[in-house]
Amino acid sequence: MPDAGLKYLIRGLGVALVGLLLPLAALAAGPSPEAIAKAKLANEQCFACHSQEGLAHPPQADLDLAKLRGLLVDKPTFEDADHGKFACTKCHNEGYDDFPHEKDAADNTSTCQDCHAKKADKIQAEFDKSVHAKHLADKFSCTTCHDLHSIKVAKNQDEARKIVAQDNRICLGCHDSDQTFARFAPEKKVRPPIDEIHDWLPNARTHWKAVRCVECHTPLGGDMLSHEILNKDRAERKCVSCHSADTSLKVRLYRHLAKQEQEKLGFMNSVVLSENYVIGATRNLALDSVMIGLVALTLLGVLVHAALRVLMHTLRRRKKDD
Amino acid sequence: MTEEHRHGERRHADRRHPEDGGRIYILPGWVRIWHWCNALLILTLIATGISLHFAGGKAPLIEFSLAVRIHNVAGLLLVVLYIFFVVANAVTGNWWQFVPRPPGILERCLKQTRFYLWGVFKGETEPYPVTREENFNTLQAITYWFMIYLVMPVLVGSGLIFMFPQFAPGEMFGLDGLLPVAVLHYASACIVLAFLIAHVYLCTFGKKISSTFKTMITGWHEH
Repeated sequence: MPDAGLKYLIRGLGVALVGLLLPLAALAAGPSPEAIAKAKLANEQCFACHSQEGLAHPPQADLDLAKLRGLLVDKPTFEDADHGKFACTKCHNEGYDDFPHEKDAADNTSTCQDCHAKKADKIQAEFDKSVHAKHLADKFSCTTCHDLHSIKVAKNQDEARKIVAQDNRICLGCHDSDQTFARFAPEKKVRPPIDEIHDWLPNARTHWKAVRCVECHTPLGGDMLSHEILNKDRAERKCVSCHSADTSLKVRLYRHLAKQEQEKLGFMNSVVLSENYVIGATRNLALDSVMIGLVALTLLGVLVHAALRVLMHTLRRRKKDD
Repeated sequence: MTEEHRHGERRHADRRHPEDGGRIYILPGWVRIWHWCNALLILTLIATGISLHFAGGKAPLIEFSLAVRIHNVAGLLLVVLYIFFVVANAVTGNWWQFVPRPPGILERCLKQTRFYLWGVFKGETEPYPVTREENFNTLQAITYWFMIYLVMPVLVGSGLIFMFPQFAPGEMFGLDGLLPVAVLHYASACIVLAFLIAHVYLCTFGKKISSTFKTMITGWHEH
């Protein structure tokens, strides 16, 4: 019977493993439509107060409206965001059942690590090498940059422009504003004029509408965008990193979009072309062949014509001499 | 052959007798200055344009951000120069040089083509030599008209939109709106480059190989 015991043990372990993996797999795939609908319904209770509508028409008379004004969440933006499919209580999980909420409720809010443990470790290691960690490690957390009520990661976006707008708003929010910069910067540190430090970059403001700051200010590599933000001395300065046939935009801004399509209408990097014409990167190979052919044939024609002229001239002269 | 055609042939035949026995002054100073400025800018724009379009390859090209800056400055100067040329052409009446005069335009084109493809190898002289009134043969006039009044506006206009992309259409056929502008700019630039090659070569068709190049400096054409 020891064989039978072993069989039961293996079967038991198998069931336990499946039981453990199934919820994890479900978590990776995200909540079911039913769970999302349920969360949305539960969130209505929160939005009854924490929305513009709630502020305009408070459901209770004793609300501290001044405090509430700073705690509003835009409902459509939240529902479209990555976290919008979850109940508010998934993160704001203790002390929010009743009103007034418990005084230490905010302290009990879940951290990013609670759900994104594996990712958070990797990000922390990258952040530790980041320019922000050098002077501001104690002032920085995930939420310093990422608004968890609106964030939508690149792979969940369908347009590069939206990714750019969202991500650059984070960087420019501080680096293009003296007021916000001063909140985080070390004492006496003056915000470097962003246009001046980018004056080497042609059409800098146009670039910021088309690509993210992090295309140049993060090292390339890994399966996701690095959180190691590079300062100006280490940031990418080679234009051809993007402006070439082998453009790094394919594995940066267009990494997720690139999977959808690679070549359209004979253009290389056509996924980029669908949103931006990038000199050097979006080239039509057929048009290149025609244009190079036109110039090459003209040159060849001229060379052949010139050679024939010289030859005929020599023959004529020789005949004359004879 | 009609009377009109015969008249045209005779008029052009008359041009073979230069009025001062060896050379005539055909190019005023402003045309020569424009020509050499234009040549310098076009060469600069071609070199930087190639560096931008084929960036990142193995060819030894101008560094990208430097090429952008040079291309932008030279491009703006070309816009100014082009406008000057069109206005000066209109004011002085020089634009007539680019309009082939009837009658017998087709016939003269064919005769000129025959000269380029056959006569020149046999040592024949130009069928329609230069006069003060008509600096160009019919084929040249048509080609120059095409380049100056058709290709150049496309090149300069698309270049300006490229420089100020906010004026480009946002989107076209599901692709970025700058695409048609870029394609027009690229294609017209390649046509200019092909023209440039043929243009420089055809300048060796003067009395001596260097004669036409000298004409572009001194303004005097040697017969």
